[in-house]
Amino acid sequence: MITFENVSLIYPQSTKTVLEGLSCEIQEGEMILVMGHTGSGKSSLLRLINGLVPHHTGGILAGDISVDGISTRNVKPGSLAHLVGIVGQNPINGFVTDIVEEELAFGMEALNIPQDVMRKRVEEVLDLLGLNAIRSRTISTLSGGEQQRVAIGAALVMHPKVLVLDEPTSALDPIAAEEVLSILHRLVHDLSVTVILAEHRLERVIQFVDRIIYIEGNGDTAIGRPEEILKNSTLVPPIIRLSRALNLSEFGTSVREVRRLTADIRDKSFPEVQSSVGTHSPVIEIESLTITYGGKRALDSVKTTIGAGEIVAVMGRNGAGKSSLLETVVGLLQPHSGTVLVNNRDPRTLKGAERRTAIGYVPQEPSDLLYKQSVRDECAQADADNDLLSGATFAFLNSLVPNISLDTNPHDLSEGQRLALVLSVVLSSNPQLLVLDEPTRGLDYQAKALFTLALKEYATSLNYPVLLATHDVELVAELSDRVLFLAEGEIVADGPTLDVLLSSPAFAPQVAKIMSPKPWLTVNDVVSALENNS
Amino acid sequence: MRKPLHPLTMWIWAILLSIGAVALDNVWVALALIAFSATLVRLRSDGSPWSSSFWWALRIGLFIIAFRAVVGALIGVPIPGTNLFTIPRLDLPSWMPGIRIGGAVTLERLASSVHEGVIIATMIALFGAATSLTSPHKLLRVLPVFIYEIGITLVIATSVFPQLAASFQRIRKAQKLRGIEGNKFRNLALPLLEESLTRSLQLAESMDSRGYGVSRKRSRYRPEKWHRRDSVIVMTTFLALITMVAA
Repeated sequence: MITFENVSLIYPQSTKTVLEGLSCEIQEGEMILVMGHTGSGKSSLLRLINGLVPHHTGGILAGDISVDGISTRNVKPGSLAHLVGIVGQNPINGFVTDIVEEELAFGMEALNIPQDVMRKRVEEVLDLLGLNAIRSRTISTLSGGEQQRVAIGAALVMHPKVLVLDEPTSALDPIAAEEVLSILHRLVHDLSVTVILAEHRLERVIQFVDRIIYIEGNGDTAIGRPEEILKNSTLVPPIIRLSRALNLSEFGTSVREVRRLTADIRDKSFPEVQSSVGTHSPVIEIESLTITYGGKRALDSVKTTIGAGEIVAVMGRNGAGKSSLLETVVGLLQPHSGTVLVNNRDPRTLKGAERRTAIGYVPQEPSDLLYKQSVRDECAQADADNDLLSGATFAFLNSLVPNISLDTNPHDLSEGQRLALVLSVVLSSNPQLLVLDEPTRGLDYQAKALFTLALKEYATSLNYPVLLATHDVELVAELSDRVLFLAEGEIVADGPTLDVLLSSPAFAPQVAKIMSPKPWLTVNDVVSALENNS
Repeated sequence: MRKPLHPLTMWIWAILLSIGAVALDNVWVALALIAFSATLVRLRSDGSPWSSSFWWALRIGLFIIAFRAVVGALIGVPIPGTNLFTIPRLDLPSWMPGIRIGGAVTLERLASSVHEGVIIATMIALFGAATSLTSPHKLLRVLPVFIYEIGITLVIATSVFPQLAASFQRIRKAQKLRGIEGNKFRNLALPLLEESLTRSLQLAESMDSRGYGVSRKRSRYRPEKWHRRDSVIVMTTFLALITMVAA
């Protein structure tokens, strides 16, 4: 279906080769995962398939890519619209119209497809993706998962033979992600659509894909079955790390396979580990907090206390009130009723330098905080703001992610590097509380591990609390002590990470699914339990 | 009341009535028209992003009235009549006869300035009402293809504004939390520009990969129908126009 023939790609004003000599053939009805570190060129590879690269972005392309016999060299992306459907990283930015049904029809209208055919196809896609209930809704009012489905639908109505998706689940909660992936799975198996997707959270997709294209970042690529590629990769999901740690004879990519391989471990009996619930002096005190947006309750009489040194994850569906809770804690939102106190102060009264030392906040778009032209200026500003020795912020940044050039524009940093920069800037003022909104979007496993370490270090060495909202179950398992689970603006679960994650199958991390009913969340949990037992 | 009108109906209505307002040149009729469109918008608006544009149009209208009143009182040809108050007069060189700055402000002068302002504000309000009550996307769909191309650029440009406003708010909030007080333009402009550029590039890519502009002919998924109520509204408005022009 798709043939890459000796493809090399390099962007102008860049010395880094994105791809070099990639040759491969993708068959009809295959599901292919493109993986690699952040900024390694996954999106570039995806967009080569319909010619967005280089027709839109520029760049020097050698070799040839052909889709269903058509070379992308000779045609513009539009001429492949009937063949290749592409769903971008932020579907909301790619929507042209405002109503679901019209968005679905947009591409067909552009290709001058007769009206009766259009109506039939729209109905088909509405049914296929379960969008019928929201067909006349305004797109901007939909949840992230629904928007993702609309974007997939808009691509599918064109009856493409190839569907290309760039991080389709990165903004979705585990349940919505599962839904989207099972739809893709069905498309591959029922309609023989060729699906190519890029994703960082391998644990979500790995069991569905047939082959992996691994972009190593220096231009080299490796193509093969998931087990082959992951055997030697540095980017591996927990399931593979577990197989490695346990020295399993085979690599499994699905929970089912690995469960079969580890039955003997689960059969052993282990001494029960008492989860130690220490008492912490309270830092954040929330009392019957209610927040309403235009008549709708975003938070409904929320009550909780967060103590010093605790790392608390706030989880829940898209739109459950996670961001509202965070924004109230940092003092951006005025509570409708109830009180929020941070170190016995109303966060709304904090200003300037005082605010910096009281609360550090990393917003959903970390780059919102950055406004200088270079990493040097950004770090210098942070030093000056907080009366630090010149260079202190950069030194911290360097300890997080080495090898960032001082002259780089923050915009040109990779996602992981940018988060590290923002984190260094925020932590430079030594805030007594750190709040993060979805910090790991777009981070690969290595960047995530670094980030986890930095946060743990902050919480334990300074004994300050960390509050973060996230969809990333694996991150929560590795990082947090406690989970607040929100639904419809109410806290439905509040307890130690272990208890909350194990009580809901959808939110259970991979290791927990494999080791269930044993109470282990991470590879380290398993390893240390085994060590203690022997 | 919620039955949608043809997207052109409100625009024809606005054009006809604003011609009438200008032709009749009566402040009271003009004010009545503003009140009428305000009522319409209140009754019929559906809470869509563009439905607030009428209230913005009103604000612009008020600003124009005030601005014209001030400028009219200060500069221009005096109209003799009741003297309200006198401000010091600026001496202009002799080669600028007939223009004066400052001097006596008469009631008549003020009234005529306000009068002109109200007529302009009425036109703005009428078109504001039309924009409020018609989805720009639907309007686009009834336009011929060669306008569609220009039109879609406009729609995208206008749909960017609410998004821009939202990003602006978000960035300002975030920066406030970094302890950056005040709104230094540079601090906000850079992230904002960056974001809107990324966004428009993504939109362009999405449109391109969905075949936009490939075919010279576009088909219509759901053609907008012209109903009897549209004819009734247009005819009534037309009669109103004739009455106003004739009066």
